Amino acid sequence: MLSFGPEADVEFRDYYQTLGVARDAPAEAVKKAYRRLARKYHPDVSKEADAEKRMKEVNEAYAVLSDPGKRAAYDRLGQGHRPGQDFHPPPDWDANMEFSDEGVSGSDAAGFSDFFAEIFGRAHGMGRPGSANRGAFRDHHARILLDLEDSFHGPERQISLQSPRVDPDGRLRLETRALNVKIPKGIREGQIIRLARQGSAPQGGDPGDLLLEVAFRPHPRLRADGRDLHLTLPVAPWEAALGAVIPVDLPGGGIQVRIPAGAAPGRQMRVRGKGIPSNPPGDLYFDIRVVAPPADTPRTKELYEALRKESDFDPRQHWGRES
Amino acid sequence: MSEEQILEGACLTLDQLCAAAALEREWLVRRVEEGLIPATGSARAEWRFAAIHVARARRMRDIERTYEAAPELAALVADMLEELDELRARLRARRGI
Repeated sequence: MLSFGPEADVEFRDYYQTLGVARDAPAEAVKKAYRRLARKYHPDVSKEADAEKRMKEVNEAYAVLSDPGKRAAYDRLGQGHRPGQDFHPPPDWDANMEFSDEGVSGSDAAGFSDFFAEIFGRAHGMGRPGSANRGAFRDHHARILLDLEDSFHGPERQISLQSPRVDPDGRLRLETRALNVKIPKGIREGQIIRLARQGSAPQGGDPGDLLLEVAFRPHPRLRADGRDLHLTLPVAPWEAALGAVIPVDLPGGGIQVRIPAGAAPGRQMRVRGKGIPSNPPGDLYFDIRVVAPPADTPRTKELYEALRKESDFDPRQHWGRES
Repeated sequence: MSEEQILEGACLTLDQLCAAAALEREWLVRRVEEGLIPATGSARAEWRFAAIHVARARRMRDIERTYEAAPELAALVADMLEELDELRARLRARRGI
């Protein structure tokens, strides 16, 4: 559990530095800087290594600097502090101050720093017991990342969940709890595992159900699409031309794939029932990719020369005319 | 060990999606009525959502809030991000060889 009680020191954060704006920057400049950084660190498109972390910092900085009340309080408290320096607000500094919750959801605030919570955790309306948004802290949903293999074997997994809770003083705390879950065999991406009465309840409330949304970690060779599995099978030119039986390892065990003679590169083939083992089981689709051997020895060069002499094959015969 | 149950396809109610994505109920109702977040069922009590719509709703809410974007624009961006997810998954599978 994260603890940031009144005795704890936290590190000062310079929100102006985070957004790259001057301390007297007008609201419009703050908004502009935020939007620029939100684009730069957007986790869906950013190429930056620490995009997710930076996005959280930027969101936190904007939550404070975009709200006139919070910004004024931050300016008053933060005078003379440097980033990373220990910080502790004086007692009752927030008496008679009110902050709006505009633009900050419970889920956002749960990802904010101890520094934010130290300043705004108590006074923040959404953290007060009995406030209208109290229910927003109930976290009934989590995304779990499984390996594709888990769908074939149905293992037990211990998952660790962090959920925001509000303590009796109205402080926001992140609580970590571990749950043992039996992963059902045949589970697919996009399905939801419902665990009855395992949601995190508000103070004294009834725990709801916990909904675990299933996603697969990227697999080095396979891609799941519903019940079906897709893979690209590299074959040698002679395997595609003459036909071959190729062993393929799958999470459910190895299979032998028969490549018919004259198989065209890019051709998609199907093996029934070798997808995810649900009821009915999915199929395995594979695309053939012909990989040419390198001419890296005198002998392979010789063979390529012979093929060039013997063959009238023109790879550009249909170039630009394929439909 | 917890007792688990698998929920298929469009299975989440309006309240479950609100709780899952930490969304305001009225915000979500408006987006569904405008056809920006798909739901099965006609009456509000019968609406059901798929798990993928948790991420879609969160993305739309964040885009709307960050850029003060029109809901339709946020939905368009969410459409493109979903397609990007799909293409990235295909690319990963192709690079696997």
